[in-house]
Amino acid sequence: MDATWLLFTIGISLILAKIGDSIIERFELPGVLGELLMGMLLGNLVYFGIVPPHYLPIVSGYGFETTATEISDFLAKLGIIFLLFLGALDTDVEQLKKTGLTATVSTVLGVFVPLIIGWYALMAMGYPSREAFAGGVLLTATSIGLTVRVMMDLGVLRSEVGAASLSASVMDDFLGIALVIFAVGSGSLLNLSIKIVVFFIITGVLGWYLIDHYIRFAERLHVEKGVLGMAVGMMFLFAALAEGWFAAAIEGAFMMGLILSKLPEGKRIMEDIRAIGYGLLIPFFFVHTGAMLDLRVFENGNAIKLAVVLSAVAIIGKVLGRGFGAWITAWGRGRDFLFTKENFWMSLQMGIGSIPRTEVALVDLMVAIQGGAIPPEDAPEFIAATLIFITVSVLITPPLLKWAFRRDIESTIAEKVETRKSQISERKKRVIQQKKGIKSKLLK
Amino acid sequence: MHDVERALQSFHSLRLEDIMPPMTSMPVVTVDAPILSVLKILKTRHHVWVVRDKESMRLKGVIRYLDVIDILLPPEAYKFKLGMTSRSLKSILGGAEKAIDVAERDVLTIEKDSTVLDALLKMRRYRAQVLAVVDGDRLVGEVSLRLLINEFLRLLRTGDVKWMQHGSSSQSESP
Repeated sequence: MDATWLLFTIGISLILAKIGDSIIERFELPGVLGELLMGMLLGNLVYFGIVPPHYLPIVSGYGFETTATEISDFLAKLGIIFLLFLGALDTDVEQLKKTGLTATVSTVLGVFVPLIIGWYALMAMGYPSREAFAGGVLLTATSIGLTVRVMMDLGVLRSEVGAASLSASVMDDFLGIALVIFAVGSGSLLNLSIKIVVFFIITGVLGWYLIDHYIRFAERLHVEKGVLGMAVGMMFLFAALAEGWFAAAIEGAFMMGLILSKLPEGKRIMEDIRAIGYGLLIPFFFVHTGAMLDLRVFENGNAIKLAVVLSAVAIIGKVLGRGFGAWITAWGRGRDFLFTKENFWMSLQMGIGSIPRTEVALVDLMVAIQGGAIPPEDAPEFIAATLIFITVSVLITPPLLKWAFRRDIESTIAEKVETRKSQISERKKRVIQQKKGIKSKLLK
Repeated sequence: MHDVERALQSFHSLRLEDIMPPMTSMPVVTVDAPILSVLKILKTRHHVWVVRDKESMRLKGVIRYLDVIDILLPPEAYKFKLGMTSRSLKSILGGAEKAIDVAERDVLTIEKDSTVLDALLKMRRYRAQVLAVVDGDRLVGEVSLRLLINEFLRLLRTGDVKWMQHGSSSQSESP
């Protein structure tokens, strides 16, 4: 294999990814969209015959398979693994344990309502059950980044709704990542369930209790980046186990990240993992995913139809599921609060905050394609539809959130104005009293 | 053996509990302390320990000098990507108000019966300038690079060790 054009492809992908990320971030949208767009650009240079596939081995399929495209595919897979490892490592497990009832109920409904609606909608469109289920799984995980950003701008991130949204979105990442096992796992449901239990016992329970000793052992080796190497090594072993059992290596990477996140030493290697992840593998994964979108797929209406259905279910299913989940708990304030306007608006805010989807949806999509849940002949339309619903979800969330929070913002501003007014009048009174005091002293 | 080497050897074997500063001189705030108080302390110190309350001294986090960057940045300066959100929640403009909102909750700790060498190795491994000395989850002291420098210089002084520099030797500062 001539490595020249593979190296060229990796280089150009990374440069374009960072440029695309920067351009899209200027519009206050997730930079990942820019990386996907750049990938689309590169991929379609090949699909439309402008550049021969040999010179840009970023996509496989369509008769382009070479050793170089296989390496590209594998690098992208490593990108997914590192993305999930990093996501889990960044999780504050202690904080999650304090998650309240509202966040928990709204997470569960927020995951299962779009999953079930999506599953049935796709079956109604004629997709086989397994493929339709995989399509439903794509709709489960929220990308909290955009919501956090908008809530921060609106000054409501630390509100009750903001805090619950944060917890719920972390939890629905867990569920979204876990559910994909049922889409790609093979064998009977019982067999799969046993494997899942054994996997979580091995990685979760054993890992949770032994990780401390493992990191101490790594420290005692006294070698350069010893802890990092040993942690990443174990992450790959977990990933290998998950790949072997469920065709979903991400589960292993995610579990290792979670286990490691409980140790300060684990958090300290995060910068190194970020450097490997966001410096190389993760942007390459997004460019690679974008490159898989062959624009010729829009020649027939299937992709658009699928995109419309997935977008509608993604938005309505999440708002309904998470919103209803929050509403029914009445935010822990009892029955009297259930039918109040405030409960309705807070629950709606919670639902709207859960609309955006980005990274985990793409990860689930790739796992479903690689695991065979979405067959190769349907992959292009699922890729197109997913990229469209992701774009729609991130575009409509900011204005919807601003609209949903407008009453809170207005009342916060009014409160601030009132407080300021009373502070000014207090100060005036004090100055007048001081002046009077000075005058009376002078008169005396 | 060279005097400085001897001094280093005894320096490395010092136990942390013998050189820790008194608790009263340590920068400690409780979880609900306002961020402004934290910033005032950070004007002169490189870190602030965050404890649940001053009675139990249960360690909840640490705010380091460099964390001030995250505290003061506007929200638009953050990248909201998977695996990068925890830092972004520490901005004042993002609504952080209390010490615990901006504290790093996973604190690098060391046991009080560890040696200076243990502390130095841990500091190098994780590029940390300060470690919390703990007894269980209770903060009982700290070991910082500043403390270690002072202790090493003190050893040189008290041991009357000559400091070799640029090929010549000069008497160290008298105590």
